Amino acid sequence: MKSFKDTLAYKQANFSVGLSLLYAVILGFAAVDFSTFTVQVPLFILAVVNLIATVIQVLLNFKIRKDSQKTLVVNRSSRIMAMLLLLSLLAGNLFIALSSMYLLKKKLTTGYMYGIYMVLTDLLVIGVSALNLFKAYVTNSFIPAMLILLIILVFHTIVLVTYDKIRQTKPAVKKGFLVLLALTVLTGNLFVLLVAFSMMQVEDTVSNRRKGIREKILRNQASMIGMLFIVFLVAMSICSVWTFNYQFAVTNDYSAILISPTLQYPFGTDNFGRDVFSRIVFGARISLAVGVVATTIPFIFGGVLGAISGYFGRHTDNLIMRFLDILYAIPGILLAITIVAAFGASTTNLIIALSIGYIPSYARTMRANVIQVTNLEYVEASKAVGNHNFNIIRQHVIPNSMAPMIVRATLTIGSAIIATSSLSYLGLGVENYIPEWGNILRTGSSYLETKPYLAIYPGLAIIALVLSFNFLGDGLRDATDPRLS
Amino acid sequence: MKKKLLSTVLMLGAVALSACNITTEEDANGGNANTDQEKVEIELLGAAADEKDLNILRDQLTRNGFEVNVNQQPDYASYRAQRDAGNFDVSIASWTTVTGNPDYAVRSIFSSDGDSRVIEPNENIDALIDEAASQNESEYTETYNQLENELVTENAYIAGLYNSLKAQAFNEDLINPDTVNLYKSRAFAWEPVSFNDTAMNESESLVLTQMESDLTSLDPIKGNDSSINQLNTNMYVRLVNLTEDDQVTSEASLSYNHAIAKGNSDYYFILRDDINFAGLEDGQAVDTGERVGANDVIYSLDRASDPESVPDQRTYSLHEYINEVTAVDDLSELENVEVADGSMTVKEALEANLDTSINSLVTDKTQADSEAGNYQVVKLTTTEPFPQVLNYLAHQSAGIVSEQQVESVNTYDIDDYNVDTDIAYGDQRAVTEGDTYDNHLYASGPYIMIAKNDYEATFQKNPAYMSETENAANIENVTVRFIGDMDSALSALRSGEVDLLYGLSETQYEVVEGEENLALQTGDSNAVSYLIVNTTNEDRKTAGSVDLRKAIVHSINQEDFIQSYDGQKKKAFSPVSPLVDTGNVLEADADLVQDHLAKYLEQAE
Repeated sequence: MKSFKDTLAYKQANFSVGLSLLYAVILGFAAVDFSTFTVQVPLFILAVVNLIATVIQVLLNFKIRKDSQKTLVVNRSSRIMAMLLLLSLLAGNLFIALSSMYLLKKKLTTGYMYGIYMVLTDLLVIGVSALNLFKAYVTNSFIPAMLILLIILVFHTIVLVTYDKIRQTKPAVKKGFLVLLALTVLTGNLFVLLVAFSMMQVEDTVSNRRKGIREKILRNQASMIGMLFIVFLVAMSICSVWTFNYQFAVTNDYSAILISPTLQYPFGTDNFGRDVFSRIVFGARISLAVGVVATTIPFIFGGVLGAISGYFGRHTDNLIMRFLDILYAIPGILLAITIVAAFGASTTNLIIALSIGYIPSYARTMRANVIQVTNLEYVEASKAVGNHNFNIIRQHVIPNSMAPMIVRATLTIGSAIIATSSLSYLGLGVENYIPEWGNILRTGSSYLETKPYLAIYPGLAIIALVLSFNFLGDGLRDATDPRLS
Repeated sequence: MKKKLLSTVLMLGAVALSACNITTEEDANGGNANTDQEKVEIELLGAAADEKDLNILRDQLTRNGFEVNVNQQPDYASYRAQRDAGNFDVSIASWTTVTGNPDYAVRSIFSSDGDSRVIEPNENIDALIDEAASQNESEYTETYNQLENELVTENAYIAGLYNSLKAQAFNEDLINPDTVNLYKSRAFAWEPVSFNDTAMNESESLVLTQMESDLTSLDPIKGNDSSINQLNTNMYVRLVNLTEDDQVTSEASLSYNHAIAKGNSDYYFILRDDINFAGLEDGQAVDTGERVGANDVIYSLDRASDPESVPDQRTYSLHEYINEVTAVDDLSELENVEVADGSMTVKEALEANLDTSINSLVTDKTQADSEAGNYQVVKLTTTEPFPQVLNYLAHQSAGIVSEQQVESVNTYDIDDYNVDTDIAYGDQRAVTEGDTYDNHLYASGPYIMIAKNDYEATFQKNPAYMSETENAANIENVTVRFIGDMDSALSALRSGEVDLLYGLSETQYEVVEGEENLALQTGDSNAVSYLIVNTTNEDRKTAGSVDLRKAIVHSINQEDFIQSYDGQKKKAFSPVSPLVDTGNVLEADADLVQDHLAKYLEQAE
């Protein structure tokens, strides 16, 4: 029998406590300078506020546990507490706000939950973009862009609050809403799509496979946080075109060399006086693009080759796999260096170079899965019925072999991002004045002891992105694996 | 619903209010972006090691209306290939005057027949270089001033970027700081160094580092690069040395004294008799009993100035001014010739501070005996009056080798020399541990290399090197670790694996200063980074237009470089700047750049 402890809202509330505590502790560490034992007051207040919010959340969790018997009971007083906790958003605590929003809703629906992430992404983008206000000046399109973002935020909030009402309105009105909503995906906020899909669903039916995946991922909090970070970066990459000034990221300013983090330069400045914060924001674009494309290409080519090889076996298998073995014998990074050195350093060549190196490992993974699946009874049954090979592969083999491929893909995105940086380091990737996370990290590497923030922030960005993809991959694997459903 | 509407209105209102106080880029720049002028595309070349300079230059040129394509080559060799092929409009280059004299700083890179000429041939410049070479220090300042003006101001062939500092760090708990010297030009000298606890000089090795493990050659005339400069400097003694601030001295050299005869063409050196060659016996450095004498000096300098003396003779251009080197046997010659300023005779100059004055001159080195007053004197004649020749004699390539030993090793036929089978004197294979090991070195300097492998080279003190004087080496054993990059080398120094680190980069100063047991020494150096504007390749647009070149040169702002290097660089007008104070300064001038660019564009149409 399901107890209240298995409900999403309760699990999320518990999950948030941990993350929120971590957030508060990190803020606390950032506020105290240990060499001189001085405290930065604003940061310290922020840390304390977050700590208080965390404590309230813990109390709320206890209260709910006491109130609940078998089913989750969130009574009026708990709701008021949750409402108050929403204010922690002002202190930048997304996690507590997230779980409060879960608790505030009587009946959680998939669309509503994605709606929460949609609004949080908006808030993050606006919040990060707003840091530009502390700069000497902002880019010309900053004010209109921020206005549009704020209007979208308001619109998204309305959608979130009135989600159930909209779902049940007349089809014509609903259609209008959906079109408007879908348009806002242009800001890069991919959660909008998930909300719109959920809204289109007439009823909560389990038969639909797609919805199943959407719902199952929601149950994995870590993968949702990963997804939030990835979607945030995608949205940031798009919105930064209008809200950030590219000149701060590439133009040298010799009067502002190696400044420690301040409000004007949240991540400090590098050895040429360029704003590291702006550089990291613009760098996300290159890292994400290269990572995703350099994973998609080998995913498709390797996957197809592996599937053919595994399904047909014998000579086909031998021919394809021996050829790929030759490719596999060449170290990936060496192959990439050779290709880039031969055809010149450019982002396109970099993507091609990385992609080719990854093909054999995808093919091997796919082949192994396909061989395993092909020998199962239902495939044999399908063959016996006289199904066409192509149909069998499409309907039975591929869907049941995808899980490890997805995990591999998420890992590859991470290593592709790292490979991009490594090649930039060797002067074979992106030109070094162009903000790319590897380039920024490299600049930091020569100041590791004296100006550690120069390496810490781009390093954290890379770690966070790679970790996010890994979490998301885990979630996707659990959601797609037929054995777990 | 009303509530929401209200909150929306409130929010938008707040945004509108705050928007009033935001300065946009247009406001900040007053909307006067000068985009009307056509951008001039130029290609900037450099190696990966010049990344920082490339970025600063790209930025400065971009601001002055150029469109810069940066061509950053991954290593020095590929950069040099591009540069030699002339595939650039502007290129970063660097020059270190290892001999400490201005002639070396200009001759090979600016004269028409220079071995690494970077500008188009120019007769005026050739004449000025030759004129300055014949002058002494008080006269040549004005000539070099004119030369710099020809190079930078008039023709805009090159432009200085900055003059670097030199730095070294060492473990002061271990090494006595008073014994560690930092020379402006000369490579680091090991023999004065001593541990704080002098008892350790016998038992412990001094551990140094260098980046290159592949040694060009241990024959002084077959190499002039950072893989062997420091090693050969400490293995071979020279006729003269340079002091920390680049003055020529006989201190700690093969000569007691030296003198320049009137006319600046004849140079006399009176030789010491207390240096013997060190050789190797059973893996230990031993006194071979063979004195370093006049015949070895004559032999060494003759082969140094002869491009055909050995295959791969890499240093003859430094010594092309040497006409003849002879041993003097006639005492009256010294008595009859006056020194350059006419204040005394050469004999008096050579006798200064000697315990026993010159009784007789000997030409057989075994007969020399300074206590009895029997000295060897070597006379060097230059092809033209050229006082700066002394600086070249202080360079490691003028190190004294043993005539007998080198001749016995170099038995191959020069015309049929095969680098794979013939092992010449100083070939690193002879000292590399393994099958080819057969250490044939004869060291005239304070140390001799025992053996090397890929990780380190070991040295022992020459037991017969001025053993009665304070110039004898203090520390018995020296090890040079090969550590490929400076960051790892610094880590090795901090962990105590290495005792002294030579040639730190600017970003490492702060780390060293933060360590309690490390001491940092910084001083001036003769290393200059400069910009070559392409005039050697006629297909390049820079070769055809002096206006374009001037626009490029005046775009350079040296202040930016100095700030970017945290003040650890100095201004430099040309490679001569650290050696001669000509007073020239390169000023950035955006208006001048625009004038010249406009002229260039006008001509181009």
